[in-house]
Amino acid sequence: MMVELVPSLLRQEINRLSAQDQRLDGRGQFEGRDVQLEVDCLYNAEGSAKVVWGDTIVFAGVKFEIRTPWPDRPTQGSLMCGAELRPVAHRKYEPGPPSPESIELGRVVDRGIRESGCIDMEKLCIVPGEKVWGVMIDIHVLSDGGNIFDAAGLAAIAALRTSIVPAERFDVGEDHTLKVNGTPIMASFKRAGGRFVYDPSEEEELGGDERIHITLGDEGHLHSLQKGLKGVFTPSEFAEILEVAETKCTELRKMVAEKERN
Amino acid sequence: MGGYGDVKLLRDDGKRLDGRAIDEMRAVTIEAGVLPAADGSAMVTHGLNVAVAAVYGPMEAHPRKIQRQDRAVIDVRYNMAPFSTGDRIRPGFNRRSREISKVTAEALESVVLVERYPRSKIRVEIEILAAEAGTRCAGITAASVALADAGIPMRDMIVGVASGKIEDTVVLDLDKAEDNYGQADLPVGILPNTGEIAFLQMDGDLSIDEYNLAMEYNFKAAKEIHEVMADALKRRYERGDA
Repeated sequence: MMVELVPSLLRQEINRLSAQDQRLDGRGQFEGRDVQLEVDCLYNAEGSAKVVWGDTIVFAGVKFEIRTPWPDRPTQGSLMCGAELRPVAHRKYEPGPPSPESIELGRVVDRGIRESGCIDMEKLCIVPGEKVWGVMIDIHVLSDGGNIFDAAGLAAIAALRTSIVPAERFDVGEDHTLKVNGTPIMASFKRAGGRFVYDPSEEEELGGDERIHITLGDEGHLHSLQKGLKGVFTPSEFAEILEVAETKCTELRKMVAEKERN
Repeated sequence: MGGYGDVKLLRDDGKRLDGRAIDEMRAVTIEAGVLPAADGSAMVTHGLNVAVAAVYGPMEAHPRKIQRQDRAVIDVRYNMAPFSTGDRIRPGFNRRSREISKVTAEALESVVLVERYPRSKIRVEIEILAAEAGTRCAGITAASVALADAGIPMRDMIVGVASGKIEDTVVLDLDKAEDNYGQADLPVGILPNTGEIAFLQMDGDLSIDEYNLAMEYNFKAAKEIHEVMADALKRRYERGDA
């Protein structure tokens, strides 16, 4: 990734506003930006979603393939979630092999979905020891306007939950909806101006410090945590943002459920 | 071109499998200024294809060895998303996408006033989100609108269109089945105002007469698509944000 200069003026301004409980774009400390979710929007993907989150735009697409199971898990299929931060998304991204940032993004989203147990790997078995489904979620960031993690997490689970298993194309039965037991949702926080804010903007990401990503399941259980970038935080700071995360995740989960009904 | 011959692509009433007439193109919609992070952008849907283009720059060209003292270089990347096709494609460049990127860059260099920006680089990123035959043309169209949206001066825009041959019949704008089982494909990039051609590829088997007819269809379609492109840019500036 191209190294971006952090203008000290930007940092100063974030600090100054923070002292007055304000943010650069006028939001409250834990106020998120407008989020729009669209599902089933791409023809060739077996599940797809588009998330417009402020100035951030992320697509996710789900593809299925038939593979032979791992020898030690003959009745289990597999799930993989990957992310690409291609140069289309921002001038700071350059072409080349996957960057550490894109790998981190894909893996944090992957863990949240995988560890929530929303996909029963046994249900992805077609013929034990011979044929299982491999489910692949690809996250494609088209515009990085800050907080691509939450947008990617939302797009991935929405695409997964609206997927159709293409059994007919592979001649192994009839097409059917993929069974997904749960809607893990991510909420991300960034230290900007000395305190944590929810849903960091591009400028807050540039002029802030560490970030924390929390993925919560339907029951409010933690399924993935990640601290990124330089900085430290206290347990009481974490307790505060965890409470915010619960509210935010519940709201977004409702949004996914509404899209599924339509 | 497969040219398998035994697949029926024309119905008894002379229409194509999807109900189109032989000189009818798929529906095209275009929106300009769709990506907030980019300097210019556009989304093109052409039938079931979805192509998005982002433009960044002009910016300093680096590494320095790619700089040209008298003009800007145009750096194009055409990329298909892993979920854009029937079978998932592994992320990353392949021979096909490299070739399309190269000839697309050369086409765009022929219309952009590159001499205005010596030693700089203009990045054009074309992302295919859904592919159902005709993505390189949709990509060229999207790139042109994105360049205009970025305010980069051009002699003309380029319209990507294709005609081909199925069951010994020349048809406009092949869909996926026609592309797979047809006999020829002729994708071109047309400058609608000057009538010149900036992009040309072809594969399959066409007689000279068939070529001429295919080109006639292409020019007709280019005119229609150009109106949609111009309309997208007008709507963009009526909207006025950024």
